[in-house]
This record gives sequence, C-alpha cells and structure tokens, in this order.
Amino acid sequence: MFDAIIIGRGPAGLSASLYTARAKLKTLIIGKNESVLRKAGKIENYFGFSNPVSGEFLLNEGEKQAKRFGVQIIDDEVIAIEKDDFFNVITSNGRYTGKAVLLATGQPQKKIKIENLTEFEGKGVSYCSTCDGFFYNNLKVGVLGFKDFAVHEAIELETYTDNITIYTNGRELELSEKYIEEAKRFKINKKTITKLGGSEFLQRIFFDDGTSEEIDGIFVAYESASSLDFARKLGILVDGNSVVVDRNQQTNLDGLFAAGDCTGGFKQVSTAVGQGTLAGRKMIEYIRSL
Amino acid sequence: MAVKIYTTPSCPYCVMAKKYLDSKNVKYEEIDVSVDRDAAMEMVRKSRQRGVPVLDIDGNIVIGFDKDRIDSLI
Repeated sequence: MFDAIIIGRGPAGLSASLYTARAKLKTLIIGKNESVLRKAGKIENYFGFSNPVSGEFLLNEGEKQAKRFGVQIIDDEVIAIEKDDFFNVITSNGRYTGKAVLLATGQPQKKIKIENLTEFEGKGVSYCSTCDGFFYNNLKVGVLGFKDFAVHEAIELETYTDNITIYTNGRELELSEKYIEEAKRFKINKKTITKLGGSEFLQRIFFDDGTSEEIDGIFVAYESASSLDFARKLGILVDGNSVVVDRNQQTNLDGLFAAGDCTGGFKQVSTAVGQGTLAGRKMIEYIRSL
Repeated sequence: MAVKIYTTPSCPYCVMAKKYLDSKNVKYEEIDVSVDRDAAMEMVRKSRQRGVPVLDIDGNIVIGFDKDRIDSLI
C-alpha cells in the first residue's frame, strides 16, 4: 500500500512527489516517459536558470531529485483507476493501492478523425463502458483502440455481450504481454475507419477499403487512457477537456487530486510546478487525516 | 414538481446527480434501467440517446449531470 500514487512524470507530478516523499509518505509515480515537456528544446522563462535549459534536462533532474527523497518511479501505463476504501491503480503490468491519487497526466492529446464520431455520441458512441455498457446487452459492440486500454475496455464489456470487436483504425496492436493473451478472445479489425452511419442511432461502421459492418455501439478507448477517461469512470467533474479542481487541487472525489496541464489554464512549467506543490501539500494533509 | 432519474448502479454521475437533488431537498423517483428493460426503452425514447443519468423534471429532459440545467428547472 502506498500513501500517495502520482500518475504522470511531468513537472506537476514530480513536484508533488518532492513534498509527499519529504513528509515521509510512501510515494509512487507511474507513467510513461512521454511528458510533452521532453520535446521542448529550449526553455527560457523558467525561474532560476540564467541560460536556456531543455525540457529533457529539467525532467531528468526532477526525477533524480525525486528519487533522492525515496520516490519510486515506475515506467508503466495506467489503464484504469478504481475506488473502494482506497484507490486501486491498474497498469499494463500491475496493480497498486494508494490512499490518495494525483492526476498529473498532462493535456489529453487524442484527436480521432472519423466522420460522424461526435454526431453519434450518446447514440451508439460512448466513452464509458462502466456507465453505458448496460445499453448494449447482447448487442454487437466495438472498442476503438489499439493499446492495453482498449483491451481492458473490451474485458469490461464482456459483462454485457460476447460480440465484441476491437477496431484499431489502421494501427497495429501495441499490447503488453498480459494483454496480448487477453486480446486473443476478441475479434480484431485493423482496417482504417472512414465514417460511422445510421439514422437516429449508430448502425454501421465504414472502412477505407469500401467495406462496412453492422454495429450497435462503439466504445472509444483510443491510445492511452487520459485524465478524461479516468474522470468519466470515477465521476469526476470536467469542464471541456480539463479536470475541475478547487483551489487546493482537489477534485470532487475525496482523495483524488489533479495538477498541471490536465486541469487546463496556463500551460507552463512554472504553473505545473506550482500546482504540483500545492497538490503535494494537500495530499499530505488528506492522508494524515485518514 | 415531478422528478424521475434514470440510473444504472455503476454510473458515478448518477450518484452525483442524486446527491445534488438530495442537497436541494428535491424528492425524486429513481429508476434503475439495468433491471427494468421497459424503463430503459422509455428513457431512450424520451432522451433520444443511451447514456445515463437522464432526469425528467416535469417533462423536461436533462441528459447527464448538468447542474446548471437542473438548477434552471427545480
């Protein structure tokens, strides 16, 4: 059991970890090494550096700093967060329990170009199997995605139907060992999707080779799970693409905090660091109050 | 005022919507569409979509936990 689990290895998550770890709380950071900051070649407006520094330099130094205080950092992908008495964080390769969780996953980057995908939202297109899976009892459903997250969604949908296809939309599957095995029981369609069709509700999915299939529902689990995907399943309030937090970086779910670009606002290293700092402090207060 | 809320047990926004109505002292009838197929169809017909929660406030349909819209109707 960890005290604090931080999802995301960018400046917000790393800053929060400095505070929780220095407060002697057992702290785990989980994330892939893909903070958008890593692509920034030259940062000239971050306090304390008279010469430009790269995003990679800042992140590498931040990780070294966090490790010096005993923070564990795991290179893994989070595919689901569940809440019972504590938080269970499910990754491609494991499962971790924590008393408090910080979402510091950066800005959701997903852009899927499929005609009518937005038009059929709520009418066959869903982003939450937990919420809407029931409406597809014994119907033909698809999961749009190609990573572990998509397979995880397909597994959740098995409660409702056994007619499940994973549509990769032209991508090759990118699965961890565990999910390669799990994916074997689902149909896999790797064609590029051009559009969705139907009258009032989704009825058909069309591919770039001119073929099409009947379909009743599509659950979107594209690329990696984002802060918005976690929010939908946990019932966290969002505003557009941003997780809603109060002035203490607390979401509407007790023990779940968010900081950095996933909360919207001014997307700067300094604001992410500031929000991470505050989130770290408030996580300490929350964990000690349990 | 007659308020119905269509829910499923696994839907977190349904819980939030119910808590919100409770906080406003609004009485409501909850319909679990996961165990009532007819009610599920009724909900789809009324809201023309398949997501929960759906609120029916005096015949006005609210899709999702839309606090502003709920406020304007209660």
